[in-house]
Amino acid sequence: MSWEGLYSLLNLSAVFGWLLLIAAPRHWRLLGLVPRYVVPGAIAVVYSGLMAAHYAQSGGGYGSLEAVRRLMAHDPVLLAGWAHFLAFDLVVGVLLAERMDRVGVGRVLQAPALIATFLFGPIGWLLGLATEAGARWRGRLVAEA
Amino acid sequence: MMQISSTFGTLSAGDAGASAGARPTWPVGALGALTALSLAALLIALAAAGLDARTLNGESVWAKPARFAASFALFFATLALVAARLSPRAQASRGLRAAVAVLAAAFLYEIGYIHVQAARGVSSHFNFATLAAEIHFALMGIGAVALMVYVGAIGVLAGRDSDARLGPGLRRGVRLGFLWSAALTILAGVSIALMGGPLTGAPPPDAAALPLLGWSGAVGDLRPAHFLALHAMQAGPLLGLWADRRGWPVARVRQALLSYAALTLAVYAQALAGYPLLAL
Repeated sequence: MSWEGLYSLLNLSAVFGWLLLIAAPRHWRLLGLVPRYVVPGAIAVVYSGLMAAHYAQSGGGYGSLEAVRRLMAHDPVLLAGWAHFLAFDLVVGVLLAERMDRVGVGRVLQAPALIATFLFGPIGWLLGLATEAGARWRGRLVAEA
Repeated sequence: MMQISSTFGTLSAGDAGASAGARPTWPVGALGALTALSLAALLIALAAAGLDARTLNGESVWAKPARFAASFALFFATLALVAARLSPRAQASRGLRAAVAVLAAAFLYEIGYIHVQAARGVSSHFNFATLAAEIHFALMGIGAVALMVYVGAIGVLAGRDSDARLGPGLRRGVRLGFLWSAALTILAGVSIALMGGPLTGAPPPDAAALPLLGWSGAVGDLRPAHFLALHAMQAGPLLGLWADRRGWPVARVRQALLSYAALTLAVYAQALAGYPLLAL
């Protein structure tokens, strides 16, 4: 399989995981395992293989921007970097959704934070924390009223 | 003892074998964790093998890390199953704790170095390209001997533990299997090291080898003997379990394991004489 082919496969599996996390009913426990473990796990295995096989060959490193540029100039390591985004963003999305569920944020209100996490990781995380904080504040107001 | 087990209880991968609901003491849990780590190392090597076109000595650079990781998984699973059947006293003993600590250190170093060298596309054993590589090779040798010495020690410990949940055949099988494994693996391993490689002849460039195992089909190869020697630690306990189930006398376990050791030595001698295990 070409790197481009593997890229498409990874993206497809991540989108599948995100769709389940955003839209699938929460009470189907087995379905919940897919975004939580199955998709990130599969991507993590591919990441491990890519890094083990190609990190040393790329001649790059983590020590400077120039070293990182050398890493990313090497297609399989670039793909590993993308896989890292896909896996970790989804894991963060699962944690956010769990926290928002716990304080009673509706599924429609969860969606913006989750979609933002999928597309722009840290922005979505901030949005998710804000959504959760808003729900907690509303809960306190209701309790005081 | 309960204090130790609760402190390290989170390490335990499987406590199904522990007696009557008691949590395993940390050496047993650690052996379970080391089994899981070996499987993770195997998974990484297999994933990398599928994504890496580089070869070394005619096979994927990841073939050797995968073989070592699979072998370590079996190694630690066997030890964990035996340790889980020891008495609580033996499980908490200083001997077992020291053994597991040494095994863990040697394993982490060995599997880590083999994976790193594979990632760099160079060999780990018999690599004399740099001083550092030579030192690592020597250290791996010391680590391998330490691994096997402590397998023998655990075999003796299990044989002496009168309260262990081991039938008479299994007890004998564990003790003899582990001891034979230690002695014969060190013999085969040291021979390979002294001869500068497992082959006892110069194979033609297009020589056939057994798939997966990589054993030569053209010239003498010490790896089959090393394989049989190493796996005496599974053969012994399995034979003992079988004997207990069948109600065989204990002496028969000893005789069968003597035959196994003789077979191992015969395969060893065959390799030294320059003949392949299977001519391909």
